Amino acid sequence: MAQAVIFPKLGQTMEEGAIVQWLKQEGDPVVKGDILFEIETDKANLEVESFFEGVLLKIYVREGVTVPVNTVVGYIGAPGEKVPDQAPKPEAPAPAPKPVASPSPTPAAARVPVAEPAAAPAPVPARAPVPAPPSHPAPQPAKVPVPAARLVISPRAKTLAQSACINPARITGTGPNGRIVEKDVRAYLAASGYDALRITPAAKRLAAEKSIDILTVRGSGDSGRIMVEDIERAIRRKPVALSRMRQVIARRLVESKQTIPHFYVTVKADITDLMVFRSDLKARGLNYSVNDFVLEAVVLSLEEIPIVNSVTDGQTVSWRGDVDLGMAVSVDNGLVVPVIRAAQTLTFSELSAQAKALAEKARAGRLTPDEMTGSSFSVSNMGMLNVDQFTAIINPGEAGILAVSSGRQEPAVVNGEVRIRSRMAITLSVDHRIVDGAVGAQFANAVRSKLENIELWKSLV
Amino acid sequence: MQDFDIIVIGAGPGGYPAAIRAAQLGKKTAIIEKEALGGTCLNWGCIPTKTLIASAERYHHATQSATFGVTAKGVTFDYAAMTARKAEIVDKLSGGVRMLLQSNGVELINGTARFEGPNRLSVLQPDGTTRWLSAVSIIIAAGSDSAMPAFLPKDKRVMDSRAFLDLTELPKKLLILGGGVIGCEFACMAAALGADVTVVEMLEDIVTVLDRDVRRVLRKRMETLGITLLTGAPLTDIAVKKNKVTGTFKDQRVEGDVLLVAVGRKPNTALLDLARAGIKTDERGTIPVNAQGRTNVASVFAVGDLVTGSIQLAHAATQQGVTAAEAAAGLKSKVERICPACIFTSPEIGLAGLTENMARQRGIAVKTAVFPFSALGKAMTAGETDGFVKWVCDPVTGQVLGAQAVGCHATELIAEAALAIRNELTVHEIGNTIHCHPTLSEAWMEAAHAFHDACIHLPKR
Repeated sequence: MAQAVIFPKLGQTMEEGAIVQWLKQEGDPVVKGDILFEIETDKANLEVESFFEGVLLKIYVREGVTVPVNTVVGYIGAPGEKVPDQAPKPEAPAPAPKPVASPSPTPAAARVPVAEPAAAPAPVPARAPVPAPPSHPAPQPAKVPVPAARLVISPRAKTLAQSACINPARITGTGPNGRIVEKDVRAYLAASGYDALRITPAAKRLAAEKSIDILTVRGSGDSGRIMVEDIERAIRRKPVALSRMRQVIARRLVESKQTIPHFYVTVKADITDLMVFRSDLKARGLNYSVNDFVLEAVVLSLEEIPIVNSVTDGQTVSWRGDVDLGMAVSVDNGLVVPVIRAAQTLTFSELSAQAKALAEKARAGRLTPDEMTGSSFSVSNMGMLNVDQFTAIINPGEAGILAVSSGRQEPAVVNGEVRIRSRMAITLSVDHRIVDGAVGAQFANAVRSKLENIELWKSLV
Repeated sequence: MQDFDIIVIGAGPGGYPAAIRAAQLGKKTAIIEKEALGGTCLNWGCIPTKTLIASAERYHHATQSATFGVTAKGVTFDYAAMTARKAEIVDKLSGGVRMLLQSNGVELINGTARFEGPNRLSVLQPDGTTRWLSAVSIIIAAGSDSAMPAFLPKDKRVMDSRAFLDLTELPKKLLILGGGVIGCEFACMAAALGADVTVVEMLEDIVTVLDRDVRRVLRKRMETLGITLLTGAPLTDIAVKKNKVTGTFKDQRVEGDVLLVAVGRKPNTALLDLARAGIKTDERGTIPVNAQGRTNVASVFAVGDLVTGSIQLAHAATQQGVTAAEAAAGLKSKVERICPACIFTSPEIGLAGLTENMARQRGIAVKTAVFPFSALGKAMTAGETDGFVKWVCDPVTGQVLGAQAVGCHATELIAEAALAIRNELTVHEIGNTIHCHPTLSEAWMEAAHAFHDACIHLPKR
């Protein structure tokens, strides 16, 4: 019997996604473990492997179409077997596939088996209660501007507008019911300085081909002549849908800035001694990044000042309990925030190892959705990007984020004398609804004093 | 206060037009030249070689016109007289350059320039004194010299093109190392005068910048002229004997009275002490510049052969020189992107814009349209039916992106193609432009029709 291939639910919060690429086509033989398709979720691209053997009989969901999780996207079965022409509704996936033999995904390779629908609500790991984050509307596909109503235009007028490479939507019609007639187009062309436009033959053909209104194009050629390059620029100006990752980033950042009253505290940590200590460790074969020290200092400070590791919905405030430390990692055309779970239970070397492993997975695009959700506080480090200071936007569901800038050698006053010291600006962004200025300052200074306390690090390494 | 607004280093085809343009724009201008006004092009390149080629063609026509009903007995040539004519033309043109510079008020300084800073030069003059100069902007137009690889024996029988042009007697047996443009031009000239010519090229074919179909025409004609073309392996065991130079190609022994080395040109940047002004060069010694010819040092421009990625043609240098002078004077000029190239082989070759090879390498989809001279009345009357013209077009808009012509007067024919490409014409405009009959230029119009399989003068395919 043919088995339905289900669009898998890969994280607790995942509601929908799109197939980026089918790696099998209708009619292709499939064995267990073959990668069927690659999907794009809010957070990452993942490969989905088959749990069935047979022939891919039908594909219902084409590449690039966003569908809810558990949608039937295709069927696998014996060659020639009959399958429905239309995909069954996701609520009632027709022939239920067999339960998955090994339910644990293989996150290391970020290859995920097709989940069976019944098992959809993945077990929630035991964790401190978290207030439900405000529900977000699913991101809408980018809207491409289209004429509001159907244009009423005579065939002759339409032909003239097309041959002139202009958009008739901006013309006022004088015919019956505002119909655009040929003389309206001519009047529009005369009024808009069309006759003075100069354009190369190839540019005009390209504009016609790509429906570019040449009245909107500025010419860069001799005496302002419109060249092919100018039309190509106009083509590139057309709206392009953001990737799902960028849409999610956009939605979350707007939500954060609109709902969380941010305030910021900047301090400068003197990391001169820390840098010496770090190179001493390196000489002993122990490699720690500056970021590792920052992460550990943040974990310790969050344990000391629990309100910064809390979250509010405006009515209640909840302590998050564990320090689930988010770590912003920039990836191609975006940003992901993998989470180090219960960071307060890890030794310094474990923390460092986890941070390194998660960053590598993030850059390889192999994080699973669950590895990117549920952080309680985040760190954004631009130290390697040569910046003096910056502020970060709080991830919704958290009370704060720490922005770490580049270490710099600069004159500093030490015991009443000017010395060259390495200093690094760290800026805390916090939710003012639950953290006031005094506490914010206390937290920023707690992180600073830890970074400057070499005796502390000697005890931790 | 600087001594000059603009100083140009080198009075070749890049430098002297730059100086004249700067003076036209009201700038106080000087030009420094260590040898002869007019540079390589005028003294040891374009002009002298074309003078000799003109003589060789005359001789060839005089002896090979029986099919035209013209026979001449006892035709001889005097190579010394040919070279004397060459010297006369060179003197005349060089004098012309001097007159032009002087009439524009450009100060001529004889000597070798060296950078002392971003705005300062020292000039070692022929009398041994050093003159110090400063300028708001400096344009480097010092050109290039033949590369003479170190493995070659140092002997007067092993020479570059410049030394070859000083010969007053044509070698009976000529061995040429390098099957590029220069090597092939000299090979055709000497073969037309009856010399026994062998060309050795390490690459798979001669003049590999050309598309294969163009090369095939050239190769066939050169072989008909009696030239031995050995390609695909290096010339080894090069040795100078008492009155000849010998070498080995694969297992074959080759020899000549002299060895002409034409393996490329190296930039004349070493003597300039560019580092003292902080001017960057790449690993080949050429200078990277922006679209205006400006180097990494804002006050310094570079034009011509010593610029990274330069096409190493006189007319390219001239356009770059004029652009740099205008940029130094604060105008927004940019270097032209379409630069036609001409090759004075037998038959001649012209090219402009994109070749099929380049399109393939860059992944650009193109459609070609070809018309052979064998189908053209004028070519038949001239007894020159070898070769063809070819448009390389955008398959959608028909825009002409590139052109190549191989055949009689191809170096003149390419001018029309360059105009069309630069101004973004399509095959439609070219096909609709009336061309004189009977002329060779009709081939461009016919080839444009070939884009749509609409040639009048080719049988239906």
